[in-house]
Amino acid sequence: METKNKIIVDGVSFHYGPNRVIDNVNATFKTHALTAITGPSGQGKSTLLGMFNGMWNDTPNARCTGEIQIRLGDRWISPLKKEIPMPLLRRKVAMIFQEPNPLPMSIAKNMAFPLKLAGIRDKNIVKEKVQRAMKQSFLWEEVKDRLEESALNLSGGQKQRLCIARALVLEPEILLCDEPTSSLDAKAVGVIEELLVSLKSNCTLLVVSHYMDQVRRIGDQVMALEDQGLKRI
Amino acid sequence: MNNAKEIIAKNVFFLSAVASAVMILAIFGFMIALGIPLFKAGNFLAIWTGPWAPHEGLYGIWPMISGTLWIALLATALCLPLSLGTSFVITSLGSPRLCKMLGTLVRFMTGIPTVIYGFVGIFLLVPLVREGIGGPGMCVLTAGMVLAILISPTMILFFTNSLLSVDVSYVQAAKALGANRVQRLLYVMVPRATGGMAAGIILALGRALGDTLIALMLAGNAIQAPHALLEPARTLTAHIALVKAADFDSLEFRSIFVCGIVLYLFATAATVAVRLILRKREVPT
Amino acid sequence: MQELMEKLAVFLSWTMTLVLCLCLFIFLSYLLIKGLPSLGAELIFGKAEPLRVLLGHDRVFDGIFPAMIGTFFLVILSAMLALPVGVCSGIYLAEYANPGMKKLFGGLFDILAGIPSIVIGLFGFSLSIFLHNHFSDRFGPCLLISSLSLAVLVIPYIVRSTQMSLEELPSNIRRTALALGATRLQNIAYVLIPNALSGISSGLFLAIGRCAEDTAVILLTGVVAMAGVPSSLLSQYEALPFYIYYISSQYSNPAELSNGYGACLVLLGICAVLFMFAYGLKKHLSYRMLYRV
Repeated sequence: METKNKIIVDGVSFHYGPNRVIDNVNATFKTHALTAITGPSGQGKSTLLGMFNGMWNDTPNARCTGEIQIRLGDRWISPLKKEIPMPLLRRKVAMIFQEPNPLPMSIAKNMAFPLKLAGIRDKNIVKEKVQRAMKQSFLWEEVKDRLEESALNLSGGQKQRLCIARALVLEPEILLCDEPTSSLDAKAVGVIEELLVSLKSNCTLLVVSHYMDQVRRIGDQVMALEDQGLKRI
Repeated sequence: MNNAKEIIAKNVFFLSAVASAVMILAIFGFMIALGIPLFKAGNFLAIWTGPWAPHEGLYGIWPMISGTLWIALLATALCLPLSLGTSFVITSLGSPRLCKMLGTLVRFMTGIPTVIYGFVGIFLLVPLVREGIGGPGMCVLTAGMVLAILISPTMILFFTNSLLSVDVSYVQAAKALGANRVQRLLYVMVPRATGGMAAGIILALGRALGDTLIALMLAGNAIQAPHALLEPARTLTAHIALVKAADFDSLEFRSIFVCGIVLYLFATAATVAVRLILRKREVPT
Repeated sequence: MQELMEKLAVFLSWTMTLVLCLCLFIFLSYLLIKGLPSLGAELIFGKAEPLRVLLGHDRVFDGIFPAMIGTFFLVILSAMLALPVGVCSGIYLAEYANPGMKKLFGGLFDILAGIPSIVIGLFGFSLSIFLHNHFSDRFGPCLLISSLSLAVLVIPYIVRSTQMSLEELPSNIRRTALALGATRLQNIAYVLIPNALSGISSGLFLAIGRCAEDTAVILLTGVVAMAGVPSSLLSQYEALPFYIYYISSQYSNPAELSNGYGACLVLLGICAVLFMFAYGLKKHLSYRMLYRV
């Protein structure tokens, strides 16, 4: 398998109960590239994204068929086959949601949270990783003096940057973004777009968006999810 | 990855749930096991329908069943208009500040210990009934009145919740068509809340059936079945509390377990009825 | 005609509300008038000296101190027994159970919640008989049995409040930690429970209040009129609600009756405080746990 590929999707379908949400999708996603996935609403873009970090594995009515191979380090892993525990997978394949969802805690506690889950307790290491991630997300300068304040008091754009920073703190190899700017105002959208493009050097990005102009602005590769599956445009 | 921890946690949680649920069957089981001697010794039918006269060897609990029904039904009947009116005021007729105060008041009432109602009832209400209306004072009426106040918070809160959870869009539609507060309440909210209200009535009735202290302290504890409001009565619950001091091996003593069985069945029937009503309401129309 | 009916409905509603408030007012004022005069050290400690009693040198024979201690121990023990089992069961139902199980357990817990307290007391009593006959003569109605029975009585409250507060958490809070690499247990422990703490603690305080005021259960499982401060888990004990009941039928002079009213006020005060905690402490607890860094 080529080292330039990061994710390979082969004949993947998704059924929720009796409904077929995704049908026979094939695609390859390249390393350190930002691939934008677009298409009409309700076609299953978010569903597809969720298959990469195993979000459907515990849902009783969901059935995934086909093959997905993700290259982590130099191993190829299939998230559908539960080859590694989901918590471990999700440290390498992180996700951002449409609605920014900071936990009801301080900014600092939010940022340290993934490290706590992973068992990293050393205060110095935590501090260093948190600072680096926040700088990568264009957030450090703005909030470095109010880390103890509630994360819920931030503006929409700041919250989303916090969520991105929080996702980056464990240095994931893939970042899945599900409509990351849909709930933000115009100014914040621009900042986030710039941020996402800047992250290409650190990881591989998959961005779902139904805004065609955004998709063309930021995507190195653009794919559309329609009835016939995923195709490059 | 600490998989072992995950599995242990899941099982601990599951076993807790099972343990709690098993209690229910254990309770019933003990009742039956300890009540059996009474079933074996006496005439099965006589136990449910005969009179209570241990000196003559009669262990019928019918007087107690009758007493329980008289008092509980009276309490529910008295409580109904009280709760209906109060819930109407809280949901529609009162000003927001008043409603908040009333709501807090009702919730405060749920915390008043039963024994205190009984205590005040003995020294305040019993003489009033005796002198003002007649009879011995400690009777079905007195117990029923105090019990009605006791169970009213349950009914009021249930009524209020049901009325308030009626789909807002219906109420707004009525408002737009010119209905005033009273009309919105009576013609839109109440009809759609009947299910929840029925459940509330049954729930309150269940509580009334199961109450011990009020009947014990205020109803007189006579051993005949009552035939009028001013007669004293004994409920199944009071009977259990009174007979407990009897000799353990006697059949008189065993009767308390039979009472327990009846109460258990009454309560279960009420609970199941409420669940069925509420489940039907959840089906969207 | 219709307008008349509507006006009648309004009139009756207000009247009924007034009747209810009046009854409550009369009830409380009567209690206060009769009970306030007797509030004081003598009510609690009787003729003994408070300091000596608290240090354990003296026994109280005509005050409510032993009853208060009894109620206190009862409540603590029952809570210790009911809380872990109740919270774990609630977690199971909210996070692990499939819909069929949820319905089944939900129904069982509803039934348990509806069982009259005296039947629960009867159960405790039968348990003590069983233990007495099969294990040791030392077993009988006692503090331990009462606490167990009260725990059974209040477990449904705790299970229901835990389950409901977990289920009411918005779905994005649920997904957040999972997407960051949390295991199910970590999600429950670090995110879900802290956010549901208000509901859970509210349920706990309601349960405690229920234990403090209950009379029927303890009537059958070990409470007596004269026992002093309980010396062990297997001993009999006094309790406030039972004291009140006992006085109502067995008082021999006006002073004792006055003590009864005083005890009513004390019990009412305790339950009112617990009730206020149940509704007030909610938000405070969650806030403090989550904002400390």
